Amino acid sequence: MKILTIACAFLIVAAQSHAQKETVLPKDLPAYGPEKPLSAPSVKISKLDNGLTVWLVSEPGFPKVAFSIALHGGLAADPSDRAGLSQLLGNTIDQGTKTLNAKQIAQQLQAAGGDLGVSPGKDSTILSITVLSAKRDDALTILSDVVRNATFPDEEVALAKRNALNELRQQESQPSFLAGRAMAKVLFGDHPYHITSATEQSINASTTEDLRKIYAERFRPDQALLVAVGDFEADGMLDAVKSRFAEWKAPSTPPVTVPSETSSAPQHAIYLVPRPGSVQTTLELGSFGPLRSADDYEAARVANAIFGGTFGSRLTRNIREDKGYTYSPFATLQTYRAAGLQITRADVRNAVTAPSLNEMFYELNRMATTTPTDEELNTAKRFLVGIEAIQMQSRASVAGELARLWVNGLTPDAIGTYGKKVAATTAADVDTAAKKYFPAAKTAVVAVGEEKVVRDALSPFGLPVLSVPQ
Amino acid sequence: MTHRRFLSGALAICAGALFCAAVLPAQQWKAPTSMKKLSNGLTVVVSEDHSAPTFGICVSYGIGFRLEPEGRTGFAHLFEHLMFEGTPNAPKGVLDRVIEGGGGANNGDTRYDYTEYIETAPISALDPVLWIEADRMKTLDFSPKNLDNQRNVVEEEVRVNVLNQPYGLFFAIDLPGKAFDTYPNAHNFYGEFKDLDAAKIEDVKAFYEKYYTPGNAVMAIVGDVKPEEVFAKVEKYFAPIPSRSTPAKPKVDEAPQKAERRSAETDAHARVPGLAIGYRMPPRKSADALAGAVTGELLQNGQASRLYQALVKDKQVALSVDGGVNWPLGTPFEYAGPTLMTSFIVYPPNVTEDQVLAAYDAAIKDLADNGPTQQDLDRIVAKMRSDIYGNLEIPINRASALSHAVLFNGNFDSVYQVPEELSKVTVAQVKAFAAKYLVSTNRTIINRVPAAAAAGKEKGAGQ
Repeated sequence: MKILTIACAFLIVAAQSHAQKETVLPKDLPAYGPEKPLSAPSVKISKLDNGLTVWLVSEPGFPKVAFSIALHGGLAADPSDRAGLSQLLGNTIDQGTKTLNAKQIAQQLQAAGGDLGVSPGKDSTILSITVLSAKRDDALTILSDVVRNATFPDEEVALAKRNALNELRQQESQPSFLAGRAMAKVLFGDHPYHITSATEQSINASTTEDLRKIYAERFRPDQALLVAVGDFEADGMLDAVKSRFAEWKAPSTPPVTVPSETSSAPQHAIYLVPRPGSVQTTLELGSFGPLRSADDYEAARVANAIFGGTFGSRLTRNIREDKGYTYSPFATLQTYRAAGLQITRADVRNAVTAPSLNEMFYELNRMATTTPTDEELNTAKRFLVGIEAIQMQSRASVAGELARLWVNGLTPDAIGTYGKKVAATTAADVDTAAKKYFPAAKTAVVAVGEEKVVRDALSPFGLPVLSVPQ
Repeated sequence: MTHRRFLSGALAICAGALFCAAVLPAQQWKAPTSMKKLSNGLTVVVSEDHSAPTFGICVSYGIGFRLEPEGRTGFAHLFEHLMFEGTPNAPKGVLDRVIEGGGGANNGDTRYDYTEYIETAPISALDPVLWIEADRMKTLDFSPKNLDNQRNVVEEEVRVNVLNQPYGLFFAIDLPGKAFDTYPNAHNFYGEFKDLDAAKIEDVKAFYEKYYTPGNAVMAIVGDVKPEEVFAKVEKYFAPIPSRSTPAKPKVDEAPQKAERRSAETDAHARVPGLAIGYRMPPRKSADALAGAVTGELLQNGQASRLYQALVKDKQVALSVDGGVNWPLGTPFEYAGPTLMTSFIVYPPNVTEDQVLAAYDAAIKDLADNGPTQQDLDRIVAKMRSDIYGNLEIPINRASALSHAVLFNGNFDSVYQVPEELSKVTVAQVKAFAAKYLVSTNRTIINRVPAAAAAGKEKGAGQ
């Protein structure tokens, strides 16, 4: 529900602590109990005659069902003069079908207990909704109507375009948006992945015909996955899916193609995004990481957790818990079909812009050049395995994870193998991955903030200070 | 930010709902739950959920920013940070090492009337996590160095969430500041820097002694557990903690509002204007509160809501509408003092504040004059029920809901009973609620305009 998403953004939250090199545990602290392994969700895999892939996870009892529908084709497939068209499609796909208007769709979804989320990614568009299980058939009916019969009414598209222009202005006032948009341009250059959002020009140029065209090209059963997780019997759900989707026809046009893989290191430079009035500098460091399907993906995840992926990680201990430069440092691996990224970020007060970057470089290089301790390795591995089990608590997150696996060309058993591969990761594996992905010299540094503050603070690093390519 | 990447989705405890509705009796849902009180006053709630080999835990203390001392704005939250900074037995670093090394994650939240500490992990980490919670209920490592460190961290938190962001949470911080007249309800809960800077380690000790007592805490554990086993573990780890007196809650009432309050602010970062509207709500235990919860959601929950349809779709004078009762820092069922039904509206620069308000007032008037239809009511009750089930689905969130319910009501019944009560709310009650509470003399409005646009306007006016 939308208001809750907003509320999430600013819960007032906690402090964390700072682990020493080798933590001395209290003598009366009880030991961990015996492990109870996670049983990966049991996925019933089917394919309809029209090519629609169906993954069903039956979990009777709790009265909710989560649906996801994933389709190949997203921001990277948008026409070059219609950047961000997938976002406009996401905002208008539920604004009218052949038989329902926007208000009727919204009311029927509300009656089922859900909000339709549409997420246009670089490679895909994912629709998701979680509803009361008593209303699961109603929800499936509306989902099928939206993915098969959307009409993109002119007046709704016109309103969505006007609002998109203002939403873009609103986003451009947020440092995180500016940093992410700049990083994609720096890392991807002309590659289709450089697009993260629409522009004023592309919004103005986009038409209902453009939307109907990409809808016809991408919303097709042979390039789609339907996931349902929750309170149903698999056979009954498969029949319900068939009755609503079996008549869906694939067009004869060729499907969206996956862009070529890319991983060429960016120029190691500071890319300055001026934001007048900033009281913090947003420092985002980005380099190429592994694909989700790469052999060293799990080792890179372990390295990332040790480096900056937890409260007890090196980066957080250093620039938050020791030095107090920032509230929210983090490091993450992002994966797309044709590229993987390693991103490190911290928002720091203006006065500590330079020392913060110094420590971020230091921790990246320390990761790339030294072997983690046994404690660091074991903690990170147990953390990653445990968090996967925790994420499987929610039907919506299981459905979302399955959809993301499919988008990345993987099968459901990846959920089971991920934990095993993490658990089997050795210090040598982490060393190799970290040496490949974490050297500071491989990063581009995006700095969003007060221009003079950033220029003055970062000049001692001797790196070129560049503008972000348009 | 609060729930960082590794806490994504599954751990989002922010779901602002403790309400569910039993429109369809067949869809009622209740988890086996039991409660016990230790001799030192600590209340413990256990709810079984064997769907995953994991658990969630929430320890809520009955102290939030409403009761933080004058001259120490932001202190309850700063204090929360210090609960993660170590104890004499488990120095700084142990807590994260134990929880993350156990495969879990931890966090905390400070709100008006409680502060909660939450963890979730594979079940194998239950004993060490209980030990950690008991350890920090005994005493803390009152370290001036750690206080200085977390003061810096909290001030960065204020910068990243308020001072360096468009809108700066004005609808959550500034609106109560204008709507209420007394310190407990009106002050800046995130903290003025001069107050954060003034906090001393003696303040930390005194706050801990006064409020962080077993009798002022409720702990809930949800997951792959058997209640009798958990109660035994809790007895082992927590019973040795001595009881201490818990202060009586002072009165925090406000004198009734007599007239509409309006003001304007400029925003250094925003490029699109925003409007915040807050109506004072009845006390949580008033007979009107339930209808208020439904009314707030009817008006603002999602694209089918009345205000979204009126402002964004029909009149096209807004880009977004968010809000609700006790929004955004709680649910309509978790407050112990004055609160608002808040609306936060972002609107296009070529639309005026008056145009937005005219459309808003027309939507409110329609509800007050005509009430909702029964269909409207059925839909929103189904949605609220679905939202709350979605919250209770996840062990750490259910633990949070259970512990808050006990803290506020003395028992957890509301977590499972509110559904049935919600479905009893009538069209007439919603209509009457809107007519009684959603009136201009009971509201506060702040219009927040981009500084650049405001400067242009003043310049234009002077020519």
